[in-house]
Amino acid sequence: MRDLIDIWVGAQTWIFEALVSPLLFRFGLMAWYEPGFNAVEYVMLGAIQILVIAVGMRFFERRWPLEKPGRDDRLIGVDRVYTLLNKLGVVPLAIFIVTYPVVTHIELLIRAWGYAPPSLERLLPWLGDNALASFLVYFALYDFAAYWLHRAQHAFPWWWALHSLHHSQRRMTVWTDDRNHVVDDLLITLALVLFAQVVGVQPGDYVVILMVGRLVESWSHANVDVSFGRLGSRLLVGPRFHRLHHALSTPQERHIQDHNFAPVFPIWDILFGTAIYDERNRPTGVDDPTVDADNDRGWLAQQATVFWRFARAMIPKFRRATAL
Amino acid sequence: MKKLAIATIALVFATTGIAQADSVLVLNSDEASYSVISRSSRTEIARHPVGREPHHLIVTPDGKEVLIGSTVTNELLGLDIKTGERRRVVKDIIDPYHLGFSPDGKWFVTAAYRLDHVDIFHADGFRLAGRIFIDGLPSHLAFDKDSKTVFVTLQQSGRLAAFDLKTQALKWSVPIGTAPAGVVMLPDDKRLLVALTGEDGIVVVDPKNGAIQGNLQTGKGAHNFWPKGDGRHYFLSNRVEGTVSLLDTDQMKVVSNVRIPGGPDCMDITLDGKELWVTQRFLRRVAVVDIEQMKVVASIPVGKSPHGVFMLRPGSTAGQGPIRAVSTSGETR
Ligand SMILES: [Zn+2]
Repeated sequence: MRDLIDIWVGAQTWIFEALVSPLLFRFGLMAWYEPGFNAVEYVMLGAIQILVIAVGMRFFERRWPLEKPGRDDRLIGVDRVYTLLNKLGVVPLAIFIVTYPVVTHIELLIRAWGYAPPSLERLLPWLGDNALASFLVYFALYDFAAYWLHRAQHAFPWWWALHSLHHSQRRMTVWTDDRNHVVDDLLITLALVLFAQVVGVQPGDYVVILMVGRLVESWSHANVDVSFGRLGSRLLVGPRFHRLHHALSTPQERHIQDHNFAPVFPIWDILFGTAIYDERNRPTGVDDPTVDADNDRGWLAQQATVFWRFARAMIPKFRRATAL
Repeated sequence: MKKLAIATIALVFATTGIAQADSVLVLNSDEASYSVISRSSRTEIARHPVGREPHHLIVTPDGKEVLIGSTVTNELLGLDIKTGERRRVVKDIIDPYHLGFSPDGKWFVTAAYRLDHVDIFHADGFRLAGRIFIDGLPSHLAFDKDSKTVFVTLQQSGRLAAFDLKTQALKWSVPIGTAPAGVVMLPDDKRLLVALTGEDGIVVVDPKNGAIQGNLQTGKGAHNFWPKGDGRHYFLSNRVEGTVSLLDTDQMKVVSNVRIPGGPDCMDITLDGKELWVTQRFLRRVAVVDIEQMKVVASIPVGKSPHGVFMLRPGSTAGQGPIRAVSTSGETR
């Protein structure tokens, strides 16, 4: 284990000292020295995730596909672009630059009141001595917040205008998880970062939660006919479970997408009565033709049209204008 | 057999959470923990929880405790200086990033790096005397000998500021260079050394008015000082260069350098004065330097982004000069 850590941080240090550190030093950005080092790790983890998806998960998709390759295969391409832009840090860096002043302002405001995170270890002292248990508890809390954010994405019309881009994909694959509007990414990131700070997730844990969480979510979008049994599918979100959330609504199942919101742990859907377990295969996508039209567009065109959709949903005047 | 004995001892300490005077504490700043390392076996024997994001630590004026500043949870964790046992938690110390007691033991000062303020407390009971909001990431601090003034580096605005401890009024604030960090008062009480992390060396500053009297090139990312113990020589970590320099402050020159990879940061010296321990933040290790040869003899794995390092010590610190601001001042040991 320690050998692995040494190889990992050795590579991280090498990349940082070769590419990032000289720039920060040269442009007087030494206050960003530690964050810059962590950013290198973020991109390295993204590259690992891409590798796991492209080699590991794709193996399962090829070997045990749920939907056989067919005429909609061309729809998958744009999702690969989303995955690369997100995992290699392009979108996250842009989001970081935009949200940093906001996050900092809110953080400083909260902390200026003397607020300190309600460190769970104080309530449950054994937690502090058990790194794995503490990690899992914070992971579960984080996922709890993500569950409710996901419900909000479906509940508010303006937010659905953004999130519907994610659901418009008719060919769900391991690449679909990152298919989100950048404003949607920004809102979710902002909310989760603030949540993590208020709860007091350790920075070291946060990186791992992000890494493991995103891998589970990529897997849950996979086009595979694989099940982990009754128990497995109740412990961790898998492709069958999440595919139901993406199912095309029909007159018989009008509200099927209002189920299985949980990103990683199905427990939240089970607890709050939104879980369904069903083996029957259904087509995925949305029944709204204007949203389904996302499928005919590339990355840039999707970002532009969905932003317009969002603006119209936000501003009532626009909404009236389109209704006429 | 010896290995087994060490392992057994390690297990005992790990389960009781009590270290001995042979132990070294290392703060894992990107985690919520500190590592306890056996100096003789050079292995981590335990890891204990501490608030969130601990960075620096400091000995109390009575020499009985070492206080760890937990920046995100706004508290200090007090450990027994001999055994490392938990003694108390001091609450409501906001963002205690860097911290120090004045030489007379009457004042306790913290630099709230994240929250941009300097807090001056009456050390007795940690009663807040004054909070000074100041722009520009207050990062490290040092005191003058007669406990009248505290000097604070401002990393973002590139300044050094001096505050009167009694009135908490700003005496002066002057531009000093790019990203100043570590600051130390020399025993003559007439020269302050300030490390410039955004440049490649240090400046010598007049504590009366902040006038720059000289400078010395040491290495890129000059960051933090640690006294060798003879009142004349100081170690300085250069984070970007990846070296530690040994400075002669009488002649104001670099005596020697040792290469320490991985962004070297805080330091401490073993009680026998033979080894310098340096945290390697990027590599998640702490390096052991043989001072006589200026050579790295070991590098011990610890947690993520190790920052402050401290040797537990037996008995009272009387006769060693009771007060030291860990990672900045403290001419004697
Ligand atoms: Zn959804």
